[in-house]
Amino acid sequence: MEKKNPMSKALVRRETLAGYSFMLPSLVFFVGFVIYPMIMCIYTGFFDSTMNREDIFIGISNYKELFQDSIFLGALKNTVIIVVVSVPVTCIFSLWVSSVIYNLTGPICSAFRVIFYLPVVTGSVAVTVVWRWMFNNYYGIFNYIGNKTGVLDRNINWLGDEKYALACIIIILLTTSVGQPIVLYVSALNNVDQSLVEAAEVDGATKFQCFWKIKWPQIMPTTLYILVITTINSFQCFALIQLLTSGGPNHSTDTIMYYIYYNAFKLYRYGYGNAMGVILAIIIAVLSALQFKMAKSE
Amino acid sequence: MKYRKIAALTLSLIMAVSVAACGSSSDTQKNADDNAATPSTESNNDAEPAGGDSAESTDITLWTYPIGNWGDSATVDGLISNFETAHPDINVTVEYLDYTNGDDQINTAIEGGQAPDIVLEGPERLVANWGAKGLMVDLADLWTDDAKEAIYDSVENACQDANGVFYEYPLCMTAHTMAINRDMFEAADALQYLDEETRTWTTENFQKAVKAVYDSGQTDVGAVYCSGQGGDQGTRALVNNLYGGTFTNAEHTEYTAGSDENIKALELLNSMEGIKFDSSIAGGDEINLFCNGTLGMAFCWNVAQEKGNADAINFDVLPMAFPTESGDPQLCGGIWGFGIFDNGDEAKISAAKTFIDFMANDETQAVESVKASSYWPVKDLGNIYSDDELMTEYSVFVPYMGDYYQVVGGWAEARTAWWNMLQQIGSGTDVKTAVDEFVTTANAAAAAAQ
Repeated sequence: MEKKNPMSKALVRRETLAGYSFMLPSLVFFVGFVIYPMIMCIYTGFFDSTMNREDIFIGISNYKELFQDSIFLGALKNTVIIVVVSVPVTCIFSLWVSSVIYNLTGPICSAFRVIFYLPVVTGSVAVTVVWRWMFNNYYGIFNYIGNKTGVLDRNINWLGDEKYALACIIIILLTTSVGQPIVLYVSALNNVDQSLVEAAEVDGATKFQCFWKIKWPQIMPTTLYILVITTINSFQCFALIQLLTSGGPNHSTDTIMYYIYYNAFKLYRYGYGNAMGVILAIIIAVLSALQFKMAKSE
Repeated sequence: MKYRKIAALTLSLIMAVSVAACGSSSDTQKNADDNAATPSTESNNDAEPAGGDSAESTDITLWTYPIGNWGDSATVDGLISNFETAHPDINVTVEYLDYTNGDDQINTAIEGGQAPDIVLEGPERLVANWGAKGLMVDLADLWTDDAKEAIYDSVENACQDANGVFYEYPLCMTAHTMAINRDMFEAADALQYLDEETRTWTTENFQKAVKAVYDSGQTDVGAVYCSGQGGDQGTRALVNNLYGGTFTNAEHTEYTAGSDENIKALELLNSMEGIKFDSSIAGGDEINLFCNGTLGMAFCWNVAQEKGNADAINFDVLPMAFPTESGDPQLCGGIWGFGIFDNGDEAKISAAKTFIDFMANDETQAVESVKASSYWPVKDLGNIYSDDELMTEYSVFVPYMGDYYQVVGGWAEARTAWWNMLQQIGSGTDVKTAVDEFVTTANAAAAAAQ
């Protein structure tokens, strides 16, 4: 039987101590600014909590009210529509663009990356202001072009009409969402083992077969990451709504995130807002787990 | 290994020291505040104005909404400088708010125990909101008998709650109007439908004028803006005036916007060619669209808009009262003044009262303070705008000022419900259904506030 070395145990203890000491600063901030607010969010969700008075414990009343609140249910529906449309479109479009540009070299590849990544690094307020101008009811460029070309016979109130407002939000969201996935896919496709691709081509595999049988499995971890991140971002769509429509017209562009903000910071219903936050977190967690599971089984 | 241990230990120490430093700093500040409070409280007991003879200076904060040039630092710096010259023992720090985020900033400050000492705004916030929540100081000692006699009765009523507690000391007032593009109306031969002398028109003539302008090719005559609450006094005044409706009862305890008159007015607006319910714009956007000639009229207007947008306007603006059936317009007024947050520090409260007294009552300063707002005084200070043609033109609207109903309970919730209701109507919801929903929501908020 091998005898344990007492020195190595002391060494491990010292290493562990040093490791935890290094972690301590960020751990304090993490606990203080992430974990504690999360716990408070869950806790406050059971209270009628508002400004300038003591919180009143109301059990699960906030949660009961949520599922009878037609505006919340509308916001949930809008959020699901945004996710269902934007996540697949973002993933497919960015994979397609990446497949086209990943083996380009030099400035052309860089130019494409810059074009698609630019909306990501541009401030969301600046992007939104430009889009707002383009969608303007009175002098926006879309109405101008539509009228000049005869496609439209009158100006359309893109952001002020229930029929179009949510679609406009999704279009803008797509332009700001594809940049990062493209960069990630380009990088992932460049890391695919080229010898396998070449061998398959020698054996007579078509381009589609090469992609589907060789490249796709190898970029699956990246796809999974993109799916999860895009889903979370879509669920948390807020700035666009706040800056463009404030949830209107007639709550047709409310999302859960915006409705949380509206309740917590406009109506000062902190407890109700927190209850919504908990529901949103549960939905995102369940969906992410499902995505992981599906990707694993594939 | 040794190096890593030392590095980790140093980092931890820095962290601990930082945290300790924060605590220590707060404690020091608290002690300083306590120390500052003690002598001034004594001087207050001796009926001296804060810091009057005290050796220590008192720091107070003023948060101001953009009421004319009270939102402009260059102007306010001059006013503060006058005050600090007269009262060198009181230092005033100013923070500028806007109407988009200002309420959030103040409410966040209240929650964090960092509310400003003085805030410059109107009764709907000072009296009906923060005052009703017990956050403001009773300003009864500023409202002396002389002050009550001098200040107009309608203003005095607006500055107190139902129990007669004063939470605002007023500085200035105005009547919110609407405005038309005179050139556009003239080209459409629509000026015949309005009285340029009294600046009034009837509901019937308003319809005729809008139709004439619309028929002349100007399809966007006016917009019932409703993307948010900004400038909502314009849409409220328009709806209330058309057929003589009211927004609340006379006691300001109940919302009456669901009356037949208001429903009729909303149905009329919804049916008029040239007027659209636009949920993509708020009051500020409407003003911009009017100033650049896109819209033929603005429902969100007052003299400050014409002054502030002078460079952008290249047509003749004709400010008008809202159209009525009776010919007796009831304009929505704006009354602005000072309120003091009860931060529990008597020295600061006393200093804040000294500041308000100086700004609103000092013989020479009061005129300058009012002029900075671009509005009119709340008491007779003589014709302070005798050399200003534009202000003289707009003074015709002051007698049209109607009931200041914004002190009704649940005001913040009602404002939100109002633009939501307009959005519903614009989206095709039946007017009565939408209005009923608004009244139910608003009255529930009013009941909860009582």
